[in-house]
Amino acid sequence: MKRWMPVLALLVVSALVLTACPAPTPQIIEVPKEVVVEKKVIETVEVVKEVPVEKIVKETVEVVKVVKETVVVEKPATVAALPRNETLYFNGQQWGPVVGWNPYSSGNNNAMAVAQNDSSRVIMFETPYLYNMLDGQQYPLLADGPYTWNDARTEITFKIKAAAKWSDGTPLTAEDVAYTWATHVKYNTPTGAGNKDYIDTIEAVDAQTVVVKAKLDADGKALNPLLVAAYVSQYYVIQKAWTETLEERAGGDATALMADTAEDVVYSGPYHKFFTDDTKVIYIRDDNYWGQDASMWGKLPAPKYLAHTIFKDNAAGSVALAQGEVDVSQQFNSNIQILWLNYGLPVSTYLPEAPYGIGASLPTAFYNLKSYGLDQLAVRKAIAIAVDYPTIIANAMTNQSATFDQVPRSLMNPTPGEQAMYDHDAVKDLQWAGNDIEGAKKLLDDAGITDTDGDGWREYNGQKLSYIATCPNGWSDWQAAIEVVAAAGAEIGIEISSNYPEWSVYQTIVTKSDAPLPEGYDIFMMWSAGAGPTMPWGRIRNLLSSEWVGMASNWSGNWGQYSSPDVDALIQAIPGETDPAKLKGMYTELVKMYLTDIPSFTLMYRPQSFHAVNETVWTNFPHQDDGTDPPVPPMDCTDGWGVACLYNVTLVNP
Amino acid sequence: MKGYRKYFLNKLLWFLVTFVFAFILNFTLPRLMPGDPVAAIVSRLAQGLSDATGVQAIYQQYADLFGTNKPILEQFFIYMKNVARGDFGFSFSQYPRTVADALKSSIFWTICLQFPAIIVGWLIGNTLGALAAYLKGGFDKVLMPVSIFISNFPAFGMAVILMVIFGVTLEWFPTSGGYGFDLIPNFSWGFIWSVIVHYQLPFWSIVLISIGGQAIGMRSMSIYELNADYVRYARFMGIKDRKIVGYVFRNAMLPQVTGLALSIGTMVSGALVAEIIFSYPGLGFTLYNGVMGQDYPLISASALIITVMVLSANFIIEILYGIIDPRIKAAQAD
Repeated sequence: MKRWMPVLALLVVSALVLTACPAPTPQIIEVPKEVVVEKKVIETVEVVKEVPVEKIVKETVEVVKVVKETVVVEKPATVAALPRNETLYFNGQQWGPVVGWNPYSSGNNNAMAVAQNDSSRVIMFETPYLYNMLDGQQYPLLADGPYTWNDARTEITFKIKAAAKWSDGTPLTAEDVAYTWATHVKYNTPTGAGNKDYIDTIEAVDAQTVVVKAKLDADGKALNPLLVAAYVSQYYVIQKAWTETLEERAGGDATALMADTAEDVVYSGPYHKFFTDDTKVIYIRDDNYWGQDASMWGKLPAPKYLAHTIFKDNAAGSVALAQGEVDVSQQFNSNIQILWLNYGLPVSTYLPEAPYGIGASLPTAFYNLKSYGLDQLAVRKAIAIAVDYPTIIANAMTNQSATFDQVPRSLMNPTPGEQAMYDHDAVKDLQWAGNDIEGAKKLLDDAGITDTDGDGWREYNGQKLSYIATCPNGWSDWQAAIEVVAAAGAEIGIEISSNYPEWSVYQTIVTKSDAPLPEGYDIFMMWSAGAGPTMPWGRIRNLLSSEWVGMASNWSGNWGQYSSPDVDALIQAIPGETDPAKLKGMYTELVKMYLTDIPSFTLMYRPQSFHAVNETVWTNFPHQDDGTDPPVPPMDCTDGWGVACLYNVTLVNP
Repeated sequence: MKGYRKYFLNKLLWFLVTFVFAFILNFTLPRLMPGDPVAAIVSRLAQGLSDATGVQAIYQQYADLFGTNKPILEQFFIYMKNVARGDFGFSFSQYPRTVADALKSSIFWTICLQFPAIIVGWLIGNTLGALAAYLKGGFDKVLMPVSIFISNFPAFGMAVILMVIFGVTLEWFPTSGGYGFDLIPNFSWGFIWSVIVHYQLPFWSIVLISIGGQAIGMRSMSIYELNADYVRYARFMGIKDRKIVGYVFRNAMLPQVTGLALSIGTMVSGALVAEIIFSYPGLGFTLYNGVMGQDYPLISASALIITVMVLSANFIIEILYGIIDPRIKAAQAD
């Protein structure tokens, strides 16, 4: 045995030595370093001086005095650790390693830097306007003042702030805005492909003035003014000069242009790349950021670094939040309240009580309207009213959703702005709060859908009603909800079993809207749009418009393939309508149709972003009634107007 | 030596045949999965896109780029040609990252976690097994049940237990990451120490589970050897116990060496459970995401690496056996 001991010892030692090897290519990061220099300044002091006339006079003289002053010099230094007091830590935004920095592509997997949507992420690239989901307004960022429509509502005009600059110091101009759009169209980027049916051109009238021209219909009216207005807060302005460099590099090839990792990209926002590997991504503040000008924020954002550790699942992220390694959490932390109620941690959410956040989207169960029996309203309604929604909200969402007693179902999200857009009383009789087993049974009995062969399950025209409810495997909150739906079926004599395919399979089938859904997809869950400048219209269109039926790859909505000419007509008409009273009438009508036809039904409300903060190091995060005006939305300090949070946060122990 | 050459050529031929079949399977099997990987990429790109034709155009663009709309035979030849040049193409799930890049960034972590864990687990397990067989009595009575108990722990159970006890409750070790959440890789003691500290829980969660299995196997083999005729004969000859145990250990170890070679061969597939629970960087999770996202090029490339490593390990072991144990060569060469 002894002879083996040296070998054993050697191997153990070599194993330990190997432990030190994981650092793949250590990097020396050069950062500006503060040094103290001596500088001669001329200072005015008062001296007492004797003059020959034997009289004491006071006079002012100039003296040269050496003072110590701190200046920033570009001297390489190794940063081994991020100072905790200068770093704001995130989770839930970045999953998997960063792939690139290219604002023309949405495939960078660089969620903190490149995310263009209703509330675009603006820490590195910037949009002309910032959307605020709390009040539905678009606030100027790169733009100078609000935009204006022409009288015909076919053109939007806005100016670019004179102070706006790129990271390379050159001014950001209207020409950049115009060239960005032209590039999107030329290379058919997702942005170009998605908007060119509604936006005709974006032109620079002069260095500061931008005109966005809408595509017009046969009557000379804008095809969709809502989507035109949404563009200005959704899409980044990208530098023309850098774009030209990129085009040259890509040789005019669209795929190469979008696959470029753009490490050299010029940006206008307050942060940029500092470090990234498989475990984290770190952004550093640009201390020359133009936004410190009085015409915008008037100062720099408080944290010098934004860091995002890449966790592999929610559980690991939740532990890190509890341990204070995460300041701002954008992930589902189940039973978040335990952190402060049971453990006394300085963790909080936007609202102090359930639902803890502001709901913005409506995770929805869609009916496959071509499944046997689901074409019958009585069956659809019976299942919908029998579902135990409080259980879904308590279990699947751990109460991080408003209940349907608090916010009755409609097509609107729970934000006050959207709730005010339809007449609650007009649809009161169509509402249901769920768990209405007797009501559901009666509905089916009245429709003649009863158990005729005595097997415990109801038949429609002699055929047993048997369905499969489904959602992607591993989406635990959705799976919990689907189980509750299945349980409701059993209560009312309709057999509903659950099945959970992998997401890769599920999404292929659900989004294939050019053919009827196959077996196994009778009742299935998908999402709805959240909060944004086109909402609630955009969400309603996604949920109900028949324009998606027939698409081979439908990522928009109406996956149950519902079709109603009346609904389509209203969806078509709303974007061109400006009269608030008329709009309210139209929206009320749509809600009425939705709650009458029940092609799908909302199972819970879900916030736009989960927003929990640990105030061990930083404080002053947005929360309800925090006194900010306009109110800063709980958007993780990075999205839309929520980025204002970065300028408001302060250190607990400065 | 002639017999040995025949044995060698025979093994080499089988190596090549297996490789060809494995290569074809590596290409075919992932593509037989239901689902459409391009749809997954489009879903990432098209979210928030409100225009129907726009989405179709993007879908087409990526189907063309990845060649998923070509006949499968044509795809295979393109794949073969590219692999021959060492080009595994773009990763679907991490596009526009290449497969080579995706693998390169995590393979260090995986090897550094898996290799020492396999070696240490193997050594400790076999030593304990051999000791149990030799010492018998109390040591054996305690070790056996404990080994069986621990080796039957599911990997995630062990990882979670270690995390809760040593990470969350005692706070001796960090709960996630490959190094400090506030650090940036550099050559300093602070960083290296952080790597070592972060390494412990994932490392031991793998080692502890493998020790039990190895010990049980080694114990049985050793008991068998201890009762072999040559041991009795050696005892009658009055040879020292220490010497005898040395013989026994060497003979009992042969099957264990095969197991070790296979473990090392498959180690690049990563330690998925440890990686997920401790958010430890590595290939396991990359590969898992690849499978979930139907990332054919990534799956095929990883599977190819694993195939080559397992085949090579096997090949080397068999060749070495031929030298170490002439009985095997003699039996096989017939």
